[in-house]
Amino acid sequence: MMGFQVLETSKLLNYARARSLWIVTFCTGCGGVELPPTATARFDFERFGIISTPSIRQADLLLITGYVTPKTLKRIIIVYEMMRNPKYIIAHGSCPVNAGIYWDSYNTVKKLDLYIPVDVWIAGCMPRPEAILRALVKLMKMVKEGKALGWKRYLENFEFYRKNQDRLFGKDWRKREIEKLRFYIHD
Amino acid sequence: MSIQEMRRISGEGGRETFELIIGPVHMETENFSIIVTVEGDTVVEAKVNAGFLHRAFEKLAENRTYIQNVPLLLRVCVPDPDHAETAYSMAVEQLLDIEIPDRAKYIRTIVLEMARISAHLFWTFGMSAAVGLYTVGQWSVADRERFIELFEELTGARIYHIYNFPGGVRYDLPMGWTDKLMKVVNYMEKRLKEYDKVFFENDILITRSRGLAKISTEEAISLGVTGPNLRATGVPYDFRKLDPYAAYPYIDFEIPTGKYGDAYDRIMVRRREIEISLNIIKQAIKELPSGPIMAPIPHPLYYNVPPGDAYARVESSKGEFGFYVVSDGSDRPWRVHIRGPSFIHGVQLLEKLLKNVRIADIPVVLKSLDNCPPDIDR
Repeated sequence: MMGFQVLETSKLLNYARARSLWIVTFCTGCGGVELPPTATARFDFERFGIISTPSIRQADLLLITGYVTPKTLKRIIIVYEMMRNPKYIIAHGSCPVNAGIYWDSYNTVKKLDLYIPVDVWIAGCMPRPEAILRALVKLMKMVKEGKALGWKRYLENFEFYRKNQDRLFGKDWRKREIEKLRFYIHD
Repeated sequence: MSIQEMRRISGEGGRETFELIIGPVHMETENFSIIVTVEGDTVVEAKVNAGFLHRAFEKLAENRTYIQNVPLLLRVCVPDPDHAETAYSMAVEQLLDIEIPDRAKYIRTIVLEMARISAHLFWTFGMSAAVGLYTVGQWSVADRERFIELFEELTGARIYHIYNFPGGVRYDLPMGWTDKLMKVVNYMEKRLKEYDKVFFENDILITRSRGLAKISTEEAISLGVTGPNLRATGVPYDFRKLDPYAAYPYIDFEIPTGKYGDAYDRIMVRRREIEISLNIIKQAIKELPSGPIMAPIPHPLYYNVPPGDAYARVESSKGEFGFYVVSDGSDRPWRVHIRGPSFIHGVQLLEKLLKNVRIADIPVVLKSLDNCPPDIDR
């Protein structure tokens, strides 16, 4: 076994995870306009092994691109909880940080960090595709070193996040959401 | 399709209808969801569930000064923000009773046509993804980057360039910018022929969109549809000709129209619009006058606007984009109403057109209408 270095399993797994981050195609807000340029021919994030996939179950990465309204936040939480476990979030633009230009709007979520754990933030309105690429590369580095632990934070502090979510939407908001949809359909 | 849920609601007499919830986690719907009732694989009824992007622009605009509103209100339509800022600036100019200088008019025309081309190229990306021809999407977004780079040199920003201001435009053209623009325009003209071969004259696109989701002219007019969707039914209805603004009265151009009002006509109207916009840019560069770029306005940051109301509209890449501004004589607008084009063709028309369409054709109908969810929700 000369010349071979035995890697720990976790290190090998982290390396593999960092090299193929798959994104959920869920463009929440204006930042969705900068994603096609980042994904296609000019700045191409597929060279990092990043692919946008339509399936939530197969994805590791959720990009929150822009302002989040309560109605969207419900979907974001549902999507985030449906993803398999090593999962990461990049919040994109100034709006998730502190609601940006919509700081006095009645229908935007002001601090996203209270409801779901974010791993990497990107500032700016709009962030340039280079900034998105830089954040992705940074996340890859963090995943490789085992530092992107948002999903662990979410499991450990589940009570805290759930309490904040319930404060915003009211208790049993999942059930009520389904009932609302049913009402929407029949009326 | 990821968040979609099928539920059985009735099973009388062997007929089973299902409900299918498409979006907002979906590649095509972007940020709104459609709830369709399906029998077999044919849509019986469709309902649009919008409101995922509601940021209350109309309320926020009341707490900001007229100048602060420009960077706020252009965020109404994300793929095509220049038309929004121009429409708002024109409404404020009407209230202030200002005529903008000739050079500003021509520069506005150039910038608006560049915005139209980049919006249509962005739409080509979505349309090609709806049909499954992904090559064209890669091309068109890369070609759009050339226009975005020019925007960046002119205004400093890629998407939200706060450039058209009440009273004119903010910066003069940089040295050698028009030459670069001419190069890109010539490149784009050659490139369109390749687009034709791969996409617009492709059999897959024609068979999937010919005869799909037809609307008649009367129906479209009674709903209030404007823009390329109305022009595809055969009416040359365009505010660049009917109610000319900026430098459009001095420029010679034609308006493309369709014949049948189906999805393919809507696609081809947009394709021909790219060609015509390139011609308009060429003419505007040739006739570009010299002079000031800003009309004198009372105070650059703070001014009281005389009381009254004004409605200004532009022909954006999606249809009529209008701002109704009411002033009570103070430095902030009393009320701003936004008339977005997508509210009509993204909600009412879409619900009508999706009837008797197969599930696989829903994205094609949706994209051929080119709706913009942020402008529905506002």
